[in-house]
Amino acid sequence: MRGRLIRTLAPWVIAAMIAIVPLVLADRFLLKVFTFVGLNALVVVGLALLFGYAGQVSLGHSAFIGIGAYTCAYLTARLGLPWIAGFAAAGALAAVGGLLLALPSLRLKGHYLAMATLGFGELMTLAFVEAEPLTGGVNGLGGIPFPTLGALEVKEPWALYWLVWGVVGVAVLIAANMVRLRPGRAMRSLHGSELGAQACGVDVVGVKVRTFVLSAALAGLSGALYASVVGFISPSVFTLAASVTLLAMAVTGGTGSLAGPIAAAALLTLVQYLDALVPGLPRETAQTLQQYQADIYGIAIVLVVLFAPKGIAGLWQRKAGEAS
Amino acid sequence: MTLLSVRNVTKRFGGLVAVDTVSFDVHERTIKALIGPNGAGKSTLFNALTGFDRPDEGSVEFDGAEIVGKRPRDVVRAGLARTFQNTQLFDELSALDNVMVGAQAHQRSGFAAAALRLPSALAEERESAEEASRLMRLVGVDEWARTPAADLPAGIRRLVEIARALATSPRMLLLDEPAAGLNATETRELVETLYRVRDRGITVLVVEHDMGLVMEVSDEIVVLDRGRKIAEGPPRMIQKDPAVIAAYLGEEAVDE
Repeated sequence: MRGRLIRTLAPWVIAAMIAIVPLVLADRFLLKVFTFVGLNALVVVGLALLFGYAGQVSLGHSAFIGIGAYTCAYLTARLGLPWIAGFAAAGALAAVGGLLLALPSLRLKGHYLAMATLGFGELMTLAFVEAEPLTGGVNGLGGIPFPTLGALEVKEPWALYWLVWGVVGVAVLIAANMVRLRPGRAMRSLHGSELGAQACGVDVVGVKVRTFVLSAALAGLSGALYASVVGFISPSVFTLAASVTLLAMAVTGGTGSLAGPIAAAALLTLVQYLDALVPGLPRETAQTLQQYQADIYGIAIVLVVLFAPKGIAGLWQRKAGEAS
Repeated sequence: MTLLSVRNVTKRFGGLVAVDTVSFDVHERTIKALIGPNGAGKSTLFNALTGFDRPDEGSVEFDGAEIVGKRPRDVVRAGLARTFQNTQLFDELSALDNVMVGAQAHQRSGFAAAALRLPSALAEERESAEEASRLMRLVGVDEWARTPAADLPAGIRRLVEIARALATSPRMLLLDEPAAGLNATETRELVETLYRVRDRGITVLVVEHDMGLVMEVSDEIVVLDRGRKIAEGPPRMIQKDPAVIAAYLGEEAVDE
Protein backbone atom coordinates (compact mmCIF):
# COMPACT_ATOMS: atom_id res chain seq x y z
CA MET A 1 0.00 0.00 0.00
CA ARG A 2 2.71 2.43 1.04
CA GLY A 3 4.97 1.24 -1.75
CA ARG A 4 2.23 1.94 -4.24
CA LEU A 5 1.73 5.46 -2.91
CA ILE A 6 5.46 6.15 -3.17
CA ARG A 7 5.54 4.77 -6.70
CA THR A 8 2.63 7.00 -7.76
CA LEU A 9 4.02 10.11 -6.09
CA ALA A 10 7.72 9.70 -6.87
CA PRO A 11 7.57 10.85 -10.53
CA TRP A 12 5.61 13.98 -9.57
CA VAL A 13 7.96 14.82 -6.71
CA ILE A 14 10.94 14.41 -9.04
CA ALA A 15 9.20 16.52 -11.69
CA ALA A 16 8.56 19.26 -9.13
CA MET A 17 12.20 19.13 -8.00
CA ILE A 18 13.39 19.47 -11.58
CA ALA A 19 10.95 22.34 -12.14
CA ILE A 20 12.13 24.45 -9.19
CA VAL A 21 15.84 24.22 -10.05
CA PRO A 22 15.92 27.69 -11.73
CA LEU A 23 14.29 29.22 -8.64
CA VAL A 24 17.04 28.05 -6.31
CA LEU A 25 20.02 28.05 -8.67
CA ALA A 26 21.30 31.46 -9.69
CA ASP A 27 24.41 30.32 -11.62
CA ARG A 28 23.74 30.81 -15.33
CA PHE A 29 26.38 28.32 -16.42
CA LEU A 30 25.05 25.57 -14.18
CA LEU A 31 21.54 26.20 -15.46
CA LYS A 32 22.89 25.68 -18.97
CA VAL A 33 24.52 22.44 -17.88
CA PHE A 34 21.20 21.21 -16.47
CA THR A 35 19.52 22.29 -19.71
CA PHE A 36 21.98 20.05 -21.58
CA VAL A 37 21.00 17.23 -19.24
CA GLY A 38 17.42 17.77 -20.41
CA LEU A 39 18.47 17.73 -24.10
CA ASN A 40 20.19 14.38 -23.60
CA ALA A 41 17.32 13.06 -21.50
CA LEU A 42 14.93 13.81 -24.38
CA VAL A 43 16.97 11.62 -26.75
CA VAL A 44 17.43 8.94 -24.11
CA VAL A 45 13.66 8.62 -23.53
CA GLY A 46 13.41 7.50 -27.15
CA LEU A 47 16.44 5.22 -26.85
CA ALA A 48 14.99 3.72 -23.67
CA LEU A 49 11.92 2.71 -25.67
CA LEU A 50 14.04 1.44 -28.56
CA PHE A 51 16.72 -0.40 -26.59
CA GLY A 52 15.24 -1.00 -23.14
CA TYR A 53 11.77 -2.03 -24.28
CA ALA A 54 12.02 -3.18 -27.92
CA GLY A 55 15.59 -4.51 -27.65
CA GLN A 56 16.93 -2.72 -30.75
CA VAL A 57 20.35 -1.08 -30.91
CA SER A 58 20.99 2.24 -32.66
CA LEU A 59 24.50 3.57 -33.15
CA GLY A 60 23.38 6.56 -35.17
CA HIS A 61 21.01 8.65 -33.15
CA SER A 62 23.22 11.73 -33.25
CA ALA A 63 22.40 11.82 -36.99
CA PHE A 64 18.74 12.40 -36.11
CA ILE A 65 19.73 15.07 -33.60
CA GLY A 66 21.72 16.65 -36.42
CA ILE A 67 18.83 16.47 -38.88
CA GLY A 68 16.61 18.17 -36.31
CA ALA A 69 19.21 20.80 -35.45
CA TYR A 70 19.97 21.75 -39.08
CA THR A 71 16.29 21.72 -40.04
CA CYS A 72 15.30 24.08 -37.24
CA ALA A 73 18.38 26.26 -37.75
CA TYR A 74 17.87 26.60 -41.51
CA LEU A 75 14.14 27.29 -41.27
CA THR A 76 14.43 29.89 -38.51
CA ALA A 77 17.82 31.53 -39.20
CA ARG A 78 17.84 31.45 -43.02
CA LEU A 79 14.16 31.43 -43.97
CA GLY A 80 12.87 33.37 -40.96
CA LEU A 81 10.04 30.97 -40.24
CA PRO A 82 8.44 30.99 -36.76
CA TRP A 83 10.38 28.89 -34.27
CA ILE A 84 7.52 26.52 -33.59
CA ALA A 85 7.41 25.66 -37.32
CA GLY A 86 11.14 24.91 -37.31
CA PHE A 87 10.74 22.83 -34.16
CA ALA A 88 7.85 20.78 -35.59
CA ALA A 89 9.62 20.34 -38.95
CA ALA A 90 12.75 19.12 -37.11
CA GLY A 91 10.79 16.33 -35.41
CA ALA A 92 8.95 15.46 -38.62
CA LEU A 93 12.05 15.33 -40.82
CA ALA A 94 13.97 13.24 -38.29
CA ALA A 95 10.97 10.88 -38.16
CA VAL A 96 10.98 10.57 -41.97
CA GLY A 97 14.72 9.84 -41.86
CA GLY A 98 14.07 7.22 -39.20
CA LEU A 99 11.35 5.63 -41.31
CA LEU A 100 13.52 5.47 -44.45
CA LEU A 101 16.30 3.81 -42.45
CA ALA A 102 14.13 1.48 -40.37
CA LEU A 103 11.87 0.06 -43.07
CA PRO A 104 14.55 -1.81 -45.03
CA SER A 105 16.85 -2.67 -42.12
CA LEU A 106 14.20 -3.88 -39.67
CA ARG A 107 12.78 -6.35 -42.18
CA LEU A 108 16.04 -8.23 -41.81
CA LYS A 109 16.84 -10.26 -38.73
CA GLY A 110 19.74 -9.79 -36.33
CA HIS A 111 22.00 -6.82 -35.98
CA TYR A 112 21.34 -5.19 -39.34
CA LEU A 113 19.71 -2.23 -37.63
CA ALA A 114 22.84 -1.51 -35.56
CA MET A 115 24.97 -1.74 -38.71
CA ALA A 116 22.58 0.38 -40.76
CA THR A 117 22.39 3.09 -38.09
CA LEU A 118 26.18 3.11 -37.78
CA GLY A 119 26.52 3.65 -41.53
CA PHE A 120 23.71 6.17 -41.60
CA GLY A 121 25.33 8.18 -38.81
CA GLU A 122 28.67 8.35 -40.61
CA LEU A 123 26.91 9.26 -43.86
CA MET A 124 24.97 12.08 -42.23
CA THR A 125 28.11 13.51 -40.60
CA LEU A 126 29.61 13.67 -44.10
CA ALA A 127 26.42 15.17 -45.48
CA PHE A 128 26.44 17.91 -42.81
CA VAL A 129 29.97 18.81 -43.92
CA GLU A 130 29.37 18.58 -47.68
CA ALA A 131 25.95 20.25 -47.97
CA GLU A 132 27.56 23.62 -47.43
CA PRO A 133 24.80 25.85 -48.88
CA LEU A 134 22.37 24.39 -46.37
CA THR A 135 24.57 23.59 -43.39
CA GLY A 136 27.50 25.98 -43.62
CA GLY A 137 29.87 23.00 -43.94
CA VAL A 138 32.68 22.55 -41.42
CA ASN A 139 32.32 26.17 -40.34
CA GLY A 140 28.87 25.42 -39.05
CA LEU A 141 25.75 27.49 -38.93
CA GLY A 142 25.48 30.47 -36.56
CA GLY A 143 23.04 33.20 -35.67
CA ILE A 144 20.28 30.76 -34.87
CA PRO A 145 17.53 32.72 -33.08
CA PHE A 146 16.27 31.82 -29.62
CA PRO A 147 12.99 29.91 -29.44
CA THR A 148 9.85 32.01 -29.63
CA LEU A 149 6.41 30.96 -28.51
CA GLY A 150 4.05 33.43 -30.14
CA ALA A 151 5.26 36.87 -29.11
CA LEU A 152 7.31 35.47 -26.25
CA GLU A 153 11.04 35.09 -26.84
CA VAL A 154 12.64 32.39 -24.73
CA LYS A 155 16.21 33.51 -24.11
CA GLU A 156 16.92 33.69 -20.40
CA PRO A 157 18.74 30.59 -19.10
CA TRP A 158 15.91 29.78 -16.71
CA ALA A 159 13.31 30.11 -19.49
CA LEU A 160 15.32 27.86 -21.82
CA TYR A 161 15.68 25.38 -18.98
CA TRP A 162 11.93 25.29 -18.46
CA LEU A 163 11.24 25.00 -22.19
CA VAL A 164 13.61 22.04 -22.61
CA TRP A 165 12.43 20.24 -19.48
CA GLY A 166 8.81 20.97 -20.41
CA VAL A 167 9.35 19.10 -23.69
CA VAL A 168 11.11 16.31 -21.77
CA GLY A 169 8.11 16.12 -19.42
CA VAL A 170 5.65 15.72 -22.29
CA ALA A 171 7.86 13.07 -23.91
CA VAL A 172 8.16 11.14 -20.64
CA LEU A 173 4.40 11.29 -20.12
CA ILE A 174 3.72 9.96 -23.63
CA ALA A 175 6.36 7.24 -23.27
CA ALA A 176 5.11 6.24 -19.81
CA ASN A 177 1.55 5.93 -21.09
CA MET A 178 2.72 3.80 -23.98
CA VAL A 179 4.83 1.37 -22.00
CA ARG A 180 1.98 0.70 -19.57
CA LEU A 181 -0.42 -0.28 -22.33
CA ARG A 182 -0.48 -2.47 -25.43
CA PRO A 183 2.49 -0.92 -27.31
CA GLY A 184 4.81 -1.33 -24.32
CA ARG A 185 3.84 -4.95 -23.90
CA ALA A 186 4.40 -5.50 -27.63
CA MET A 187 7.86 -3.90 -27.44
CA ARG A 188 8.88 -5.99 -24.46
CA SER A 189 7.57 -9.15 -26.10
CA LEU A 190 9.99 -8.59 -29.01
CA HIS A 191 12.81 -8.28 -26.55
CA GLY A 192 11.75 -11.55 -24.87
CA SER A 193 11.10 -13.80 -27.87
CA GLU A 194 10.36 -12.81 -31.43
CA LEU A 195 8.91 -16.24 -32.17
CA GLY A 196 6.58 -15.90 -29.20
CA ALA A 197 5.62 -12.39 -30.27
CA GLN A 198 4.78 -13.59 -33.78
CA ALA A 199 2.71 -16.41 -32.35
CA CYS A 200 0.74 -13.81 -30.38
CA GLY A 201 -0.06 -11.85 -33.52
CA VAL A 202 2.31 -9.00 -32.67
CA ASP A 203 3.25 -7.02 -35.78
CA VAL A 204 6.97 -7.52 -35.16
CA VAL A 205 8.32 -5.30 -37.95
CA GLY A 206 5.59 -2.69 -37.44
CA VAL A 207 6.30 -2.30 -33.73
CA LYS A 208 10.05 -2.02 -34.32
CA VAL A 209 9.61 0.54 -37.09
CA ARG A 210 7.17 2.66 -35.07
CA THR A 211 9.42 2.63 -32.01
CA PHE A 212 12.42 3.56 -34.12
CA VAL A 213 10.57 6.41 -35.84
CA LEU A 214 9.39 7.74 -32.47
CA SER A 215 12.91 7.66 -31.05
CA ALA A 216 14.24 9.42 -34.17
CA ALA A 217 11.58 12.12 -33.83
CA LEU A 218 12.49 12.74 -30.17
CA ALA A 219 16.16 13.00 -31.17
CA GLY A 220 15.18 15.50 -33.89
CA LEU A 221 13.26 17.64 -31.39
CA SER A 222 16.23 17.55 -29.04
CA GLY A 223 18.45 18.71 -31.91
CA ALA A 224 16.11 21.61 -32.68
CA LEU A 225 16.17 22.69 -29.04
CA TYR A 226 19.95 22.34 -28.94
CA ALA A 227 20.39 24.56 -31.99
CA SER A 228 18.09 27.22 -30.57
CA VAL A 229 19.61 27.13 -27.08
CA VAL A 230 23.24 27.31 -28.22
CA GLY A 231 22.70 29.46 -31.31
CA PHE A 232 25.45 27.71 -33.29
CA ILE A 233 25.83 24.19 -34.68
CA SER A 234 28.57 22.37 -36.58
CA PRO A 235 29.11 18.79 -37.80
CA SER A 236 31.59 18.07 -34.99
CA VAL A 237 28.69 17.76 -32.53
CA PHE A 238 26.71 15.07 -34.33
CA THR A 239 29.24 12.26 -34.36
CA LEU A 240 29.49 8.55 -33.71
CA ALA A 241 31.00 9.35 -30.30
CA ALA A 242 27.84 11.27 -29.37
CA SER A 243 25.68 8.35 -30.55
CA VAL A 244 27.69 5.93 -28.44
CA THR A 245 27.43 8.21 -25.40
CA LEU A 246 23.64 8.31 -25.76
CA LEU A 247 23.47 4.55 -26.17
CA ALA A 248 25.66 4.21 -23.07
CA MET A 249 23.06 6.21 -21.15
CA ALA A 250 20.26 3.91 -22.31
CA VAL A 251 22.26 0.76 -21.55
CA THR A 252 23.55 1.78 -18.12
CA GLY A 253 20.08 3.08 -17.27
CA GLY A 254 18.65 -0.39 -17.64
CA THR A 255 16.02 -2.23 -19.65
CA GLY A 256 12.28 -1.97 -19.14
CA SER A 257 12.55 1.40 -17.42
CA LEU A 258 12.31 5.10 -18.28
CA ALA A 259 13.51 6.50 -14.96
CA GLY A 260 16.77 4.50 -15.03
CA PRO A 261 17.97 5.77 -18.43
CA ILE A 262 16.98 9.37 -17.54
CA ALA A 263 19.00 9.10 -14.34
CA ALA A 264 21.91 7.69 -16.35
CA ALA A 265 21.58 10.57 -18.84
CA ALA A 266 21.86 13.02 -15.95
CA LEU A 267 24.87 11.26 -14.41
CA LEU A 268 26.83 10.76 -17.62
CA THR A 269 26.11 14.31 -18.81
CA LEU A 270 27.17 15.85 -15.50
CA VAL A 271 30.47 13.93 -15.53
CA GLN A 272 31.50 16.16 -18.44
CA TYR A 273 31.08 19.27 -16.27
CA LEU A 274 32.54 17.86 -13.08
CA ASP A 275 34.90 20.81 -12.56
CA ALA A 276 31.98 23.24 -12.51
CA LEU A 277 29.85 21.07 -10.25
CA VAL A 278 32.39 20.11 -7.60
CA PRO A 279 33.97 23.37 -6.35
CA GLY A 280 37.03 21.88 -4.66
CA LEU A 281 37.94 19.57 -7.55
CA PRO A 282 41.46 20.26 -8.88
CA ARG A 283 41.60 21.29 -12.52
CA GLU A 284 43.93 18.45 -13.44
CA THR A 285 41.57 15.83 -12.03
CA ALA A 286 38.67 17.25 -13.99
CA GLN A 287 40.77 17.42 -17.16
CA THR A 288 41.95 13.85 -16.74
CA LEU A 289 38.37 12.71 -16.27
CA GLN A 290 37.27 14.55 -19.39
CA GLN A 291 40.19 13.17 -21.34
CA TYR A 292 39.16 9.63 -20.51
CA GLN A 293 35.45 10.29 -20.91
CA ALA A 294 34.98 7.81 -23.76
CA ASP A 295 36.89 5.18 -21.79
CA ILE A 296 34.75 5.82 -18.72
CA TYR A 297 31.58 5.30 -20.77
CA GLY A 298 33.03 2.15 -22.29
CA ILE A 299 33.95 0.76 -18.89
CA ALA A 300 30.53 1.73 -17.53
CA ILE A 301 28.82 -0.27 -20.30
CA VAL A 302 31.07 -3.29 -19.71
CA LEU A 303 30.48 -3.18 -15.94
CA VAL A 304 26.74 -2.89 -16.38
CA VAL A 305 26.55 -5.73 -18.87
CA LEU A 306 28.69 -7.96 -16.62
CA PHE A 307 27.40 -7.17 -13.15
CA ALA A 308 24.07 -5.37 -13.41
CA PRO A 309 22.39 -6.32 -16.68
CA LYS A 310 19.30 -4.43 -15.62
CA GLY A 311 21.29 -1.26 -15.07
CA ILE A 312 20.50 1.55 -12.67
CA ALA A 313 16.80 0.68 -12.86
CA GLY A 314 17.64 -2.89 -11.76
CA LEU A 315 19.59 -1.72 -8.71
CA TRP A 316 16.69 0.52 -7.73
CA GLN A 317 14.16 -2.31 -8.19
CA ARG A 318 16.34 -4.66 -6.13
CA LYS A 319 16.51 -2.11 -3.30
CA ALA A 320 12.75 -1.63 -3.46
CA GLY A 321 12.27 -5.41 -3.40
CA GLU A 322 14.44 -5.78 -0.29
CA ALA A 323 12.56 -3.00 1.50
CA SER A 324 9.08 -4.46 0.97
CA MET B 1 -16.89 -30.63 -40.30
CA THR B 2 -13.26 -30.35 -41.38
CA LEU B 3 -11.55 -27.30 -39.85
CA LEU B 4 -7.97 -27.95 -40.94
CA SER B 5 -7.16 -29.74 -44.14
CA VAL B 6 -3.53 -30.63 -44.89
CA ARG B 7 -2.90 -31.71 -48.50
CA ASN B 8 0.33 -33.19 -49.84
CA VAL B 9 2.56 -30.94 -47.75
CA THR B 10 6.25 -31.40 -48.50
CA LYS B 11 9.19 -29.62 -46.88
CA ARG B 12 12.79 -30.23 -47.90
CA PHE B 13 15.98 -29.06 -46.23
CA GLY B 14 18.69 -29.49 -48.86
CA GLY B 15 18.62 -33.18 -49.80
CA LEU B 16 16.58 -34.20 -46.74
CA VAL B 17 12.83 -34.51 -47.16
CA ALA B 18 11.68 -33.58 -43.65
CA VAL B 19 7.98 -33.78 -44.49
CA ASP B 20 6.98 -35.93 -47.47
CA THR B 21 3.54 -35.40 -49.11
CA VAL B 22 1.61 -35.55 -45.88
CA SER B 23 -2.20 -35.22 -45.94
CA PHE B 24 -4.76 -35.38 -43.15
CA ASP B 25 -7.83 -33.58 -41.85
CA VAL B 26 -8.70 -32.29 -38.39
CA HIS B 27 -12.39 -32.15 -37.60
CA GLU B 28 -13.93 -29.33 -35.65
CA ARG B 29 -14.17 -29.76 -31.85
CA THR B 30 -11.93 -32.82 -31.76
CA ILE B 31 -8.51 -33.48 -30.30
CA LYS B 32 -6.08 -34.95 -32.79
CA ALA B 33 -2.60 -36.12 -31.92
CA LEU B 34 0.43 -36.04 -34.20
CA ILE B 35 2.97 -38.63 -33.09
CA GLY B 36 6.10 -40.27 -34.38
CA PRO B 37 9.68 -41.09 -33.42
CA ASN B 38 12.24 -38.30 -33.05
CA GLY B 39 13.04 -36.68 -36.37
CA ALA B 40 9.75 -37.78 -37.91
CA GLY B 41 9.05 -34.21 -39.07
CA LYS B 42 6.40 -33.22 -36.53
CA SER B 43 7.82 -29.83 -35.57
CA THR B 44 8.68 -29.05 -39.20
CA LEU B 45 5.06 -29.76 -40.11
CA PHE B 46 3.89 -27.53 -37.24
CA ASN B 47 6.01 -24.66 -38.53
CA ALA B 48 4.63 -25.18 -42.03
CA LEU B 49 1.05 -25.09 -40.72
CA THR B 50 1.51 -21.86 -38.75
CA GLY B 51 3.38 -19.65 -41.23
CA PHE B 52 6.75 -19.92 -39.47
CA ASP B 53 8.07 -21.95 -42.40
CA ARG B 54 6.81 -22.23 -45.94
CA PRO B 55 6.21 -25.73 -47.28
CA ASP B 56 7.80 -26.45 -50.68
CA GLU B 57 4.66 -28.12 -51.95
CA GLY B 58 1.11 -28.77 -50.89
CA SER B 59 -1.70 -26.74 -49.43
CA VAL B 60 -3.13 -26.11 -45.98
CA GLU B 61 -6.72 -24.97 -45.73
CA PHE B 62 -8.00 -23.56 -42.46
CA ASP B 63 -11.75 -23.02 -42.30
CA GLY B 64 -11.86 -23.20 -46.10
CA ALA B 65 -9.13 -20.60 -46.72
CA GLU B 66 -5.57 -21.28 -47.91
CA ILE B 67 -3.03 -20.33 -45.26
CA VAL B 68 0.23 -21.36 -46.97
CA GLY B 69 2.17 -18.15 -47.62
CA LYS B 70 0.55 -16.22 -44.80
CA ARG B 71 2.73 -14.69 -42.10
CA PRO B 72 2.52 -16.19 -38.57
CA ARG B 73 0.71 -13.07 -37.43
CA ASP B 74 -2.03 -13.49 -40.03
CA VAL B 75 -2.35 -17.21 -39.29
CA VAL B 76 -2.96 -16.38 -35.61
CA ARG B 77 -5.46 -13.72 -36.53
CA ALA B 78 -7.26 -16.23 -38.73
CA GLY B 79 -7.78 -18.31 -35.58
CA LEU B 80 -4.94 -20.84 -35.56
CA ALA B 81 -2.76 -20.41 -32.45
CA ARG B 82 0.28 -22.41 -31.39
CA THR B 83 2.74 -23.15 -28.59
CA PHE B 84 6.39 -24.14 -28.97
CA GLN B 85 8.42 -27.21 -28.07
CA ASN B 86 10.90 -24.82 -26.43
CA THR B 87 8.50 -22.48 -24.66
CA GLN B 88 8.75 -18.97 -26.06
CA LEU B 89 7.62 -16.87 -23.11
CA PHE B 90 8.70 -13.28 -22.53
CA ASP B 91 11.00 -13.73 -19.55
CA GLU B 92 10.97 -10.14 -18.30
CA LEU B 93 7.18 -9.98 -18.21
CA SER B 94 4.94 -11.43 -15.53
CA ALA B 95 2.91 -14.54 -16.36
CA LEU B 96 -0.22 -12.40 -16.57
CA ASP B 97 1.45 -9.90 -18.92
CA ASN B 98 2.59 -12.82 -21.08
CA VAL B 99 -1.00 -13.98 -21.45
CA MET B 100 -2.09 -10.39 -22.12
CA VAL B 101 0.30 -10.20 -25.07
CA GLY B 102 -1.77 -12.97 -26.63
CA ALA B 103 -4.69 -10.56 -26.79
CA GLN B 104 -2.66 -8.36 -29.18
CA ALA B 105 -3.84 -10.58 -32.01
CA HIS B 106 -7.31 -9.02 -31.95
CA GLN B 107 -6.64 -5.65 -30.28
CA ARG B 108 -6.82 -2.44 -32.30
CA SER B 109 -5.58 0.49 -30.22
CA GLY B 110 -2.15 1.62 -31.37
CA PHE B 111 0.74 3.82 -30.27
CA ALA B 112 -1.18 7.09 -30.41
CA ALA B 113 -4.22 5.80 -28.51
CA ALA B 114 -1.94 4.50 -25.75
CA ALA B 115 0.17 7.69 -25.64
CA LEU B 116 -2.97 9.77 -25.07
CA ARG B 117 -4.60 7.17 -22.80
CA LEU B 118 -7.73 7.22 -24.97
CA PRO B 119 -10.76 5.49 -23.43
CA SER B 120 -10.63 2.85 -26.17
CA ALA B 121 -7.07 1.89 -25.21
CA LEU B 122 -7.91 1.76 -21.50
CA ALA B 123 -11.02 -0.33 -22.16
CA GLU B 124 -9.02 -2.81 -24.22
CA GLU B 125 -6.44 -2.99 -21.46
CA ARG B 126 -9.10 -3.79 -18.86
CA GLU B 127 -10.79 -6.38 -21.05
CA SER B 128 -7.55 -8.16 -21.90
CA ALA B 129 -6.50 -8.18 -18.23
CA GLU B 130 -9.80 -9.75 -17.21
CA GLU B 131 -9.72 -12.26 -20.04
CA ALA B 132 -6.10 -13.16 -19.22
CA SER B 133 -7.01 -13.79 -15.56
CA ARG B 134 -9.93 -15.98 -16.66
CA LEU B 135 -7.72 -18.01 -18.98
CA MET B 136 -5.07 -18.46 -16.29
CA ARG B 137 -7.76 -19.89 -14.02
CA LEU B 138 -8.97 -22.13 -16.84
CA VAL B 139 -5.47 -23.53 -17.28
CA GLY B 140 -4.94 -23.65 -13.50
CA VAL B 141 -1.98 -21.27 -13.19
CA ASP B 142 -3.70 -18.18 -11.74
CA GLU B 143 -1.60 -18.28 -8.57
CA TRP B 144 1.50 -17.52 -10.70
CA ALA B 145 0.00 -14.39 -12.32
CA ARG B 146 2.49 -11.91 -10.85
CA THR B 147 5.61 -14.07 -11.14
CA PRO B 148 8.11 -13.04 -13.84
CA ALA B 149 8.11 -15.71 -16.55
CA ALA B 150 11.85 -16.24 -16.02
CA ASP B 151 11.13 -17.56 -12.50
CA LEU B 152 8.37 -20.02 -13.48
CA PRO B 153 8.94 -23.80 -13.17
CA ALA B 154 9.16 -25.58 -16.53
CA GLY B 155 5.74 -27.20 -16.22
CA ILE B 156 4.01 -23.93 -15.36
CA ARG B 157 5.72 -22.25 -18.32
CA ARG B 158 4.03 -24.71 -20.70
CA LEU B 159 0.62 -24.07 -19.16
CA VAL B 160 1.11 -20.29 -19.23
CA GLU B 161 2.03 -20.56 -22.91
CA ILE B 162 -1.23 -22.44 -23.53
CA ALA B 163 -3.15 -19.69 -21.72
CA ARG B 164 -1.34 -17.13 -23.89
CA ALA B 165 -2.29 -19.00 -27.07
CA LEU B 166 -5.90 -19.10 -25.85
CA ALA B 167 -5.82 -15.33 -25.33
CA THR B 168 -5.54 -14.91 -29.11
CA SER B 169 -9.16 -16.21 -29.27
CA PRO B 170 -8.31 -19.15 -31.51
CA ARG B 171 -10.65 -21.63 -33.17
CA MET B 172 -7.84 -24.14 -33.19
CA LEU B 173 -4.84 -24.74 -30.96
CA LEU B 174 -1.59 -26.41 -32.06
CA LEU B 175 0.38 -27.67 -29.06
CA ASP B 176 4.00 -28.78 -29.53
CA GLU B 177 4.85 -31.31 -26.79
CA PRO B 178 2.82 -29.67 -24.02
CA ALA B 179 3.57 -32.46 -21.50
CA ALA B 180 7.36 -32.34 -21.85
CA GLY B 181 8.87 -31.43 -18.47
CA LEU B 182 5.58 -31.72 -16.63
CA ASN B 183 5.29 -33.77 -13.42
CA ALA B 184 2.39 -36.17 -12.81
CA THR B 185 0.15 -33.54 -11.18
CA GLU B 186 0.83 -31.00 -13.89
CA THR B 187 0.16 -33.62 -16.58
CA ARG B 188 -3.24 -34.30 -14.97
CA GLU B 189 -3.88 -30.55 -15.02
CA LEU B 190 -2.92 -30.48 -18.70
CA VAL B 191 -5.34 -33.31 -19.55
CA GLU B 192 -8.16 -31.49 -17.76
CA THR B 193 -7.20 -28.29 -19.55
CA LEU B 194 -7.30 -30.01 -22.94
CA TYR B 195 -10.85 -31.24 -22.24
CA ARG B 196 -11.93 -27.81 -21.03
CA VAL B 197 -10.44 -26.20 -24.14
CA ARG B 198 -12.24 -28.65 -26.40
CA ASP B 199 -15.51 -28.13 -24.50
CA ARG B 200 -15.18 -24.41 -25.27
CA GLY B 201 -15.43 -25.37 -28.93
CA ILE B 202 -11.71 -25.13 -29.71
CA THR B 203 -10.16 -27.80 -31.91
CA VAL B 204 -6.78 -29.17 -30.82
CA LEU B 205 -3.85 -30.66 -32.71
CA VAL B 206 -1.16 -31.88 -30.33
CA VAL B 207 2.35 -33.23 -30.87
CA GLU B 208 3.22 -35.37 -27.88
CA HIS B 209 5.60 -38.12 -26.78
CA ASP B 210 3.65 -39.10 -23.63
CA MET B 211 1.76 -42.08 -25.12
CA GLY B 212 -0.48 -42.45 -22.08
CA LEU B 213 -1.69 -38.90 -22.54
CA VAL B 214 -2.06 -39.27 -26.32
CA MET B 215 -4.12 -42.47 -26.05
CA GLU B 216 -6.30 -40.92 -23.34
CA VAL B 217 -7.20 -37.55 -24.83
CA SER B 218 -7.14 -37.90 -28.58
CA ASP B 219 -10.08 -38.70 -30.78
CA GLU B 220 -7.76 -39.49 -33.68
CA ILE B 221 -4.04 -39.95 -34.21
CA VAL B 222 -1.75 -39.32 -37.18
CA VAL B 223 1.58 -41.11 -37.15
CA LEU B 224 4.61 -39.76 -39.00
CA ASP B 225 7.84 -41.62 -39.57
CA ARG B 226 10.78 -40.13 -41.45
CA GLY B 227 8.56 -37.44 -42.93
CA ARG B 228 5.82 -39.77 -44.20
CA LYS B 229 2.39 -40.48 -42.81
CA ILE B 230 2.38 -44.18 -41.92
CA ALA B 231 -0.97 -44.44 -40.12
CA GLU B 232 -4.07 -42.49 -39.17
CA GLY B 233 -7.07 -43.47 -37.07
CA PRO B 234 -8.56 -43.77 -33.58
CA PRO B 235 -6.17 -44.65 -30.70
CA ARG B 236 -7.13 -48.32 -30.47
CA MET B 237 -6.42 -48.90 -34.14
CA ILE B 238 -3.09 -47.08 -33.95
CA GLN B 239 -1.96 -49.19 -30.98
CA LYS B 240 -2.33 -52.34 -33.06
CA ASP B 241 -0.99 -50.98 -36.32
CA PRO B 242 2.03 -53.07 -37.38
CA ALA B 243 3.72 -50.17 -39.21
CA VAL B 244 3.46 -47.98 -36.10
CA ILE B 245 4.80 -50.69 -33.83
CA ALA B 246 7.69 -51.28 -36.20
CA ALA B 247 8.53 -47.58 -36.35
CA TYR B 248 8.60 -47.22 -32.57
CA LEU B 249 10.37 -50.55 -31.94
CA GLY B 250 12.93 -49.53 -34.52
CA GLU B 251 13.60 -46.36 -32.60
CA GLU B 252 14.00 -48.18 -29.29
CA ALA B 253 16.38 -50.65 -30.89
CA VAL B 254 18.50 -47.73 -32.03
CA ASP B 255 18.33 -46.13 -28.59
CA GLU B 256 19.61 -49.28 -26.89
